[in-house]
Amino acid sequence: MPDFRPVAFAAALTLAAAGPALAAPTIGQPAPAFTIKDGAGQTRSLAEFKGKAVVLEWTNAGCPYVQKHYESGNMQGLQKGATKDGVVWLTLISSAPGKQGYVSPGEAKTWKTTTGAGSTALLLDPAGQVGRAYEAKVTPHMYVVNGAGTLVYMGGIDDKPTADPASLKGATNYVAAALSDVKTGRPVTKAVSKPYGCTIKYGS
Amino acid sequence: MVLDVRRFFAKLVAACAVLVAAPALAEPVDTGHLVAELVARDQSIAPGATTYVAVRQKIDKGWHTYWRNSGDSGEATSVVWTLPPGWTAGDIVWPAPTRQPTGPLMNYGYQGEVLLPVPITAPASAKPGETVTLKAAVSFLVCEEICVPEDAVLTLSLPVVEGLGEPNPAWSGPVAKALSDAPTPANFASVFAKQGTSLALAVTGEELKGADVADAYFFPFDSTVIDHAKPQVIERGREGLTLTLTPGYAFQEGDGPGTMAGVLSIGGKAYEISANIGTPPPGASGLGAPPSKAVGGGGGALGLPLAAAFAFLGGLILNLMPCVFPILAMKAASLAGHAHDRRTAQGQGLAFLAGVLATFLALAVALIAVRAGGAAVGWGFQLQSPPVVAGLALLMLAVALNLSGVFEVGSSLQGVGTGLAGKRGMAGAFFTGALAVVVAAPCTAPFMAPALGWALTQSAPAAITVFLALGLGFAAPFALAAFVPGLLTRLPKPGPWMDGFKKLLAFPMYGAAAWLVWVLTIQAGETALARIFAAAVIMALAAWLLGVAQRRRAAGEKPLVLASVGGVLVLAAAVAAIWPSYGARQPGPTASAGASATVSYEAYSPEKLAAAQAAGKPVFVNFTAAWCVTCQVNEKVALSTQGVADAFKQTGAVYLKADWTLKDAVIEAELAKHGRAGVPLYLVYGAKGGDGAILPQILTEGLIVRALKDAQGR
Repeated sequence: MPDFRPVAFAAALTLAAAGPALAAPTIGQPAPAFTIKDGAGQTRSLAEFKGKAVVLEWTNAGCPYVQKHYESGNMQGLQKGATKDGVVWLTLISSAPGKQGYVSPGEAKTWKTTTGAGSTALLLDPAGQVGRAYEAKVTPHMYVVNGAGTLVYMGGIDDKPTADPASLKGATNYVAAALSDVKTGRPVTKAVSKPYGCTIKYGS
Repeated sequence: MVLDVRRFFAKLVAACAVLVAAPALAEPVDTGHLVAELVARDQSIAPGATTYVAVRQKIDKGWHTYWRNSGDSGEATSVVWTLPPGWTAGDIVWPAPTRQPTGPLMNYGYQGEVLLPVPITAPASAKPGETVTLKAAVSFLVCEEICVPEDAVLTLSLPVVEGLGEPNPAWSGPVAKALSDAPTPANFASVFAKQGTSLALAVTGEELKGADVADAYFFPFDSTVIDHAKPQVIERGREGLTLTLTPGYAFQEGDGPGTMAGVLSIGGKAYEISANIGTPPPGASGLGAPPSKAVGGGGGALGLPLAAAFAFLGGLILNLMPCVFPILAMKAASLAGHAHDRRTAQGQGLAFLAGVLATFLALAVALIAVRAGGAAVGWGFQLQSPPVVAGLALLMLAVALNLSGVFEVGSSLQGVGTGLAGKRGMAGAFFTGALAVVVAAPCTAPFMAPALGWALTQSAPAAITVFLALGLGFAAPFALAAFVPGLLTRLPKPGPWMDGFKKLLAFPMYGAAAWLVWVLTIQAGETALARIFAAAVIMALAAWLLGVAQRRRAAGEKPLVLASVGGVLVLAAAVAAIWPSYGARQPGPTASAGASATVSYEAYSPEKLAAAQAAGKPVFVNFTAAWCVTCQVNEKVALSTQGVADAFKQTGAVYLKADWTLKDAVIEAELAKHGRAGVPLYLVYGAKGGDGAILPQILTEGLIVRALKDAQGR
């Protein structure tokens, strides 16, 4: 049978070839696995947290949108509240060396104290492999994985896509909402949202 | 009369107010990476009237601000107005954005100077003579690689006058232009459908019939409906176009969005469209990728005479290209055979010419027909099909066996007679010409590419003219040699040496067959190798049987069984080579064997190019195909040298390879964009971005090194 849609077919091939080797992250599907060094130099993987809800947070300290959440203490508050609840909170940096937001292994050791973060761990992804596997685009870009390893939320941290600190008041925090859904065993009401922030400074 | 005087005075007062207030006065504010100000279309406004006041941004070079959907990151410019009581401001009339690729991501926004017009309406109660102050608190996100939020409070004084507001001499033009260029709702039918992992957006409308849609792009209003960074593949239809998009986050939530609205940008125009879920109409697709667009350096600017001249010249040079050598050798032998019989030589020269022209004509008609049917094909397209390559390999083998003397052509079918012998020679010359064109397809000679690239975008008669000019140029050397008296007599006299010469010439033909087998394995994988070798052995056996039959017949026997067994085997070999169809190439090591001798490359994709450009690296793009001999020669002779490898290292240039061995709509579209219909095409993109420079089709080491160094600073 002749192929009437060669263009669409070629497009699909191209898209498949252009994207990362893994399938794009999909809600309801297993979250892409990864193994990577943390700020203390330890090798960490998503698999080791099986059974617990995991939050992935992409960050870049030079980004005004990240600053909105860190300088106000909003992000640290969320992190501490979540970890206290037994949630694993992984903060990732995918900035390439020399680019904005990059943290050297040396700086990573003091990152938690300088930022006052309540994350479980800081993961260093200078090659961008985890960022690309999750198709993370911005800082802060947020993902929530449930105890079964299923991706249940991805998108923005809240519904106010701006760098203005005043916008925190009255914002609906999607990550907090997703975590509370996961905790009570409900399906996540708002599973995707518009991620907003600065472009992740990937290396080429 | 009294009334008139009062009106006159009112006008006078208003005029004075205008003068005193310095109409529509505003102060530009430098926020750091841009200068912003409010500019008004009119320098005064009447009570109850609406005017347009635009936020003008002059953005620093290399930085950009954002459209209403900023794309993967960023944030749209926002305006909060503080107006006198009763005055109202509408929404920003967003100009069509441009793409701002950032690393692997895609943003939508503006560079340089941009006006964001906003309708401002005065209340009916506004008093002529008064001057109001319009205040706008504007928030910009200005980005280069990093992003800086910048704010400005902009003000504008606007006098209220009776009657009509006066146009502002400095800004009425630019603001009116921004308004007229802004996307307007189009009278198109738009539907979208999720098809597996992709999203088809089909748009049809009267205005799109026959429109040049080569640079069509859909900018969605909502940032979650599509993956902005993925390419949008364009397919034309009789009544519109179909864009193949990649669905965004929104499609992971429930049933996904029910509508998709945004701006469709085509050529210089931008249309607002809103698509609902639906079945794409047949008129929105079926005509393949858009034809080439007139781009500097490509063939777009050629006229018919110049294209035909280029084609003739290209045809002449084609004689010297590597893929034609075996046939050239055969033709030389044939000419030498009649060097001392001018009439026969002339007849054969003309027959050769006729064979070349007829084949080019057939090829042109086929090419035009296939393209009209919607397939993305170009020069050498027939070699993108494995069965054709397999069939040609067998044909080459048969010709080689013939030259080796295993069997003869014609003598078993036709009677012996002097008159017919002449005709047989003519037919032979005709088919030699046809064969020469068939094997020439993998080669693109200089001059030929722009001519053919141009031809394939023109009407059928113009395209056929160019193809015939190419054929004339190709056949000219031999046809003329037959007519120039001095030349023929210089060829050696025929004699027994000719038999040896003919047998020697068999070897380039064996080489051609081997090369086609190599192309086939790249196209269809290793399993094809077994099949084609089996077919080749059967073909050789058949040739030998036929040869034996021919000799027995010459001896007066009637070897019917032998001849028919031979004939059946020929058929069997041909069928084995072309049927059933070959499987697709497995994307295994062949596709990604990423290292030539010294320079490593990556497979081409528009995103990789954008990413490398965003990283400030020069980029070398090699459009090639396994069946393209010119490409292979360039890769071996010029691209794999130490000097070129060093130049890649020094300049940090990225080497991308676009392999067109099999059909590929994306590569075809890129070729078309540069006015080309075939490979090779070499592009060098400068480190500072911009369009690629086209390199000549015959590369040398020095040329590439110079081009790369030049690109580093460009």
